[in-house]
Amino acid sequence: MNLVRAELERLAARRFVQLMVVLLAAAFAVTVVTTLAGSHRPSPAELSRAQAQAAESVREMEMTYDRCLRIREGSLPPAENDYLPRDCAQIDPAQLDELPTAADYLSGVFVFAKEAEPLLYFLIAFLTLFGFLVGASYIGADLNSGGVVNLLLWRPRRSTVLAAKLGTLLGGLVGLSVLASVAYLGAFWLIGQASGLVGRTGGDFWPSLAAIWGRGLVLVLLAAALGFAVATLGRLTSAALGAVAAYVVVWELGARLVFQILQVGRPDRYMLSSYLAAWLSGEVRLWDGNACGPGISGYCDGSYTVTWPSGLVVLLGLTGALVAAAFTVFRRRDLM
Amino acid sequence: MSAVIEIAGLRKTFHSLRQGRRVAVDGFDMLVEAGQVHGFLGPNGSGKTTTLRALLGLVRPDAGRMRVLGADSPERLPDVAGRVGAIVESPQFFANFTAHRTLRLLAVAGGVPTVRVDEVLEQVGLRDRGHERVKGYSLGMKQRLAVASALLKNPELLILDEPANGLDPAGIREMRDLTRSLAEAGVTVLLSSHILAEIQLICDHVTIVSRGRRVAYGPVEEVLAGFDQHQWRVRVADPEQAGDLLGRAGLSVTAGPDHLVVTGVEDPETISRTLGEQGVWVRELVPLRPDLESVFLELTGDHEHMGVEVPRQVDGAPPSDGVIDLDVRESREVDA
Repeated sequence: MNLVRAELERLAARRFVQLMVVLLAAAFAVTVVTTLAGSHRPSPAELSRAQAQAAESVREMEMTYDRCLRIREGSLPPAENDYLPRDCAQIDPAQLDELPTAADYLSGVFVFAKEAEPLLYFLIAFLTLFGFLVGASYIGADLNSGGVVNLLLWRPRRSTVLAAKLGTLLGGLVGLSVLASVAYLGAFWLIGQASGLVGRTGGDFWPSLAAIWGRGLVLVLLAAALGFAVATLGRLTSAALGAVAAYVVVWELGARLVFQILQVGRPDRYMLSSYLAAWLSGEVRLWDGNACGPGISGYCDGSYTVTWPSGLVVLLGLTGALVAAAFTVFRRRDLM
Repeated sequence: MSAVIEIAGLRKTFHSLRQGRRVAVDGFDMLVEAGQVHGFLGPNGSGKTTTLRALLGLVRPDAGRMRVLGADSPERLPDVAGRVGAIVESPQFFANFTAHRTLRLLAVAGGVPTVRVDEVLEQVGLRDRGHERVKGYSLGMKQRLAVASALLKNPELLILDEPANGLDPAGIREMRDLTRSLAEAGVTVLLSSHILAEIQLICDHVTIVSRGRRVAYGPVEEVLAGFDQHQWRVRVADPEQAGDLLGRAGLSVTAGPDHLVVTGVEDPETISRTLGEQGVWVRELVPLRPDLESVFLELTGDHEHMGVEVPRQVDGAPPSDGVIDLDVRESREVDA
């Protein structure tokens, strides 16, 4: 416990960590200020006009659906440029996830319910980058500067020391992520209340947002553990940065190109980015360009889906393997 | 006296792609007993730091047995780590932390009462500058901070690797006084240094290492005595005549520019009587005693030229396995 307490203080006192927190606060402040500046509370007239437009839009959708049904029944002839789905249920307003609302027709008004999800994704992206860089630099700088050696002279249990560092990092990140998320979403909710609209936050709005947040938090922790593990293996912060750059250039770009030339089926299955996207968004639908090649007649659906469980397995497996390798190597390594 | 450090047959080889295989320590033995101030001497690259790192569990030896305060190292090192203070080479500290904070974090991590921080800062003469950032410290001040970190645990055994590095003459003297006071307080000190005069002033015992092997060990006075050639510097009015007389008396004489050096004479009366009987009066008769520097250079320099290593035991302790117990003069004949 003492070790974790000391490590937490050491982590919080690091310049790089402080710089990243300042950057997070600055990005947060800029977003809040620009949002506040570009939003106003709608007047009753604006609101009623938007509500009328939304109602009109819903009515048009219902008419289109009704027309589709009648054409399919044969009671109405189709017009020359009519677009008709094979199944009219596809355009049934009652089956849509979301119907147009007044918020969609308000200009210059911040609507929290509409913006919360993209704002949260931005926060997750920043925290993931933060986690990776801090994770890598925390152990990389310590290995390079002799800080780890100093600590081992006090606590000559390598696994305990490394685990304490990793645990402190992950614990610290959970704390920071919770604080940053509450402050960030809370501030925008207040902007919605005071200078815009909160919008529809009923139903599964909060559970859905919480699910994205939870998946985002797991991603932040995985990124931090990954950065920590690669920097431990390479003894340097730059090892982690180099590994990511090399992976992106060699595999995500280079290998993808080679797969295309060789016409390998479903190349996205081999890319981490697919599993990352699947984990974050629940599932990702990908298209295989080679599935519907020559020789296939009729309708061909070349798409396939990667779901969040496979995303989690791949990301967890990779991170777990690298962390295990880092611990094994660190236990046996000569520290000079 | 009980053994505080025991090393037997320590062997360590480093492998690297660029430099290939390098034997750093090759069957090294060492014995440090309680209450000693033990000097550890060797040229750069002779294996001193590797030995200390292996002893402290930072480097994995290929072979050999090590015990610290009765505990096998590195297996049982955690059991005694709280009683061992150590600095290895020049430890690095976070530049943005103050000395006080640096020590407090170490104390917290090691479960040492934080009141010790002010005590050790006082002990190493950093009390007034303890709240300044380490980045403003001179090399000597950083070295004092390193020693302070080693003292924090109130250790029974203090291992100092080049503690005088970067210190000015006044700092070296303070470090010497500090080491002496610690020794008087019952702390066993193992001191690695390349400042031979310093070792001679501070240490009561010494181990000399060359090419990863122990080449001499024992009480400093006995090591020096083992290399005493019983030389005398003789000044007379007519050195040429005196040289002839001494030579005819069977003494080994070397002529200097204005004096003679007589070798192999235990009792100076032999010289004064030989010359006095012939009416030659001695103006000066001074014993030429070896110092640690000349012993060190002979042991570590000559051997490199000869390619022969002869371990010398100069105290009464039994040699460990594989160490040949030779009389110093015998080995000098080998050298010749």
